[in-house]
Amino acid sequence: MTTNAHIEKKRLETPPATIKFKIQRREKEGAPAHWETFELQYRRNLNVISALMEIRKDPVTIEGKQTTPPVWDMSCLEQVCGICTMVIDGKVRQSCSALIDDLLLASNSDTVTLAPMSKFPNVRDLKVDRSKMFDHLKQVEAWVELDGSYDLGPGPHISNEVAQERYAFSRCMTCGCCLEACPQYGDDNYIGPQAIAQARLFNMHPTGKMTAEDRINGLLGDDGITNCGNAQNCIQVCPMGIPLTKAIYETNRDITVNALFGWLKK
Amino acid sequence: MAVKFSKTFLLRKLHQITGIVPLGMFFFVHMFTNSKAMNGEASFNKAVKEIHDIPFLLLIEIFGIFVPLIFHSVYGILISAEAKPNAINYGYGRNWFYMLQRATGIFLFFFILFHVLNLRFGLIPYLNMTPVAGNADKAFAIVSAEFQITWVMALYILGILATAWHLAYGFFLFAVDWGIVIGEKAQKATLAACLGLAAMLSFVGINAAFSFVRPCGLMPKFICEETKKPAPAGAAKF
Repeated sequence: MTTNAHIEKKRLETPPATIKFKIQRREKEGAPAHWETFELQYRRNLNVISALMEIRKDPVTIEGKQTTPPVWDMSCLEQVCGICTMVIDGKVRQSCSALIDDLLLASNSDTVTLAPMSKFPNVRDLKVDRSKMFDHLKQVEAWVELDGSYDLGPGPHISNEVAQERYAFSRCMTCGCCLEACPQYGDDNYIGPQAIAQARLFNMHPTGKMTAEDRINGLLGDDGITNCGNAQNCIQVCPMGIPLTKAIYETNRDITVNALFGWLKK
Repeated sequence: MAVKFSKTFLLRKLHQITGIVPLGMFFFVHMFTNSKAMNGEASFNKAVKEIHDIPFLLLIEIFGIFVPLIFHSVYGILISAEAKPNAINYGYGRNWFYMLQRATGIFLFFFILFHVLNLRFGLIPYLNMTPVAGNADKAFAIVSAEFQITWVMALYILGILATAWHLAYGFFLFAVDWGIVIGEKAQKATLAACLGLAAMLSFVGINAAFSFVRPCGLMPKFICEETKKPAPAGAAKF
């Protein structure tokens, strides 16, 4: 996005009087899902979260049926925490930064469809349990060992180039967009781009490099990096613009050179 | 590096390499041989005869073609079964290519089965029943008779297009999966080269197929050997 893209942005010139929200509801994990539609008066500058808050005040469906207020997760409201991620009009993204005008312009309709991410356990309505991603981080040991029984001294310097690249990977907010859009991710058979990029982040760190092998081992299992199908949806949907495919392919090179052909050095 | 390889990891790497080294190589040779039909019946039959004369042919056929082919296709179908295609909602180019790689793979499983039974073994009822293998002198005539049937010709053209795409895009997938190509710019350049290769292989393959029903296939006749006039006797200086 160019820096002044917000100036050139298209505006919804003739907005509809009311907008409809088609929301996937589920009472609790394991319960059957169903759809409910709500109607709201249109006003300027609505986003998905402000619309949901409006619906929550008086949860009556379009058929006039009184229902429970929809449940969703939210926190920062500025697209840096990742918790409000959901599937909006078929595409995964953060609901706080999904502006209603943009959605209506893109779909050319007066309806916005909201569903929870499908690749995570659905706790209730639009809320999912994303703890699987934290298990992935443990699997690839996405941290740097700093503490010893003695003073380890100052760490080595990092070149500006490496620091820049690591910064891009460090922006991951564990939102789950890449996993939701990945056609290979699901049923626990692939660890997914999120953890691979974090393994790369810590393998690039001069101290982290010393335990790179442990992270690579975490990616060589049956659910490892090799299950990547190169559909590259991850890099398209990542809200932080993280070079996820580069992380995957750099790691592939690491594995080819050091692991697959490592025996040639012996 | 004390690394632990999982079964899945090794099978995937084997799947990637079998697609390129024995099968990709074989496809290039196959299209080269087919293209000899451009120069007419004698030229093609001679090429088939030369293949028959390759030493250790049976071993090469079994371990260089059939074993890798069966592994690559069966494991490829297992990989395809894991896919959860979503190109309707996420209609990005590479996502369609991801789907197309699986779709062409499944189509090719059935097409190659048909093709091998049809021409190599001559076992498809109501079609050709003479195997090309062992009948080099009849090779051109067998293929030519098959390709007169419109739906057979159409099926083979589809098969050639699918193989050309699957192999060319397979080169791109191999390059990224083995960490040869990494950055986005390099990916773009590699993909462009692979698309060019797909176009070239498609043309060469389809042209060769047409050579069995029309001299010189789709190319102007003057470039093919058989139409050239034989050199007058005694003209050679040496």
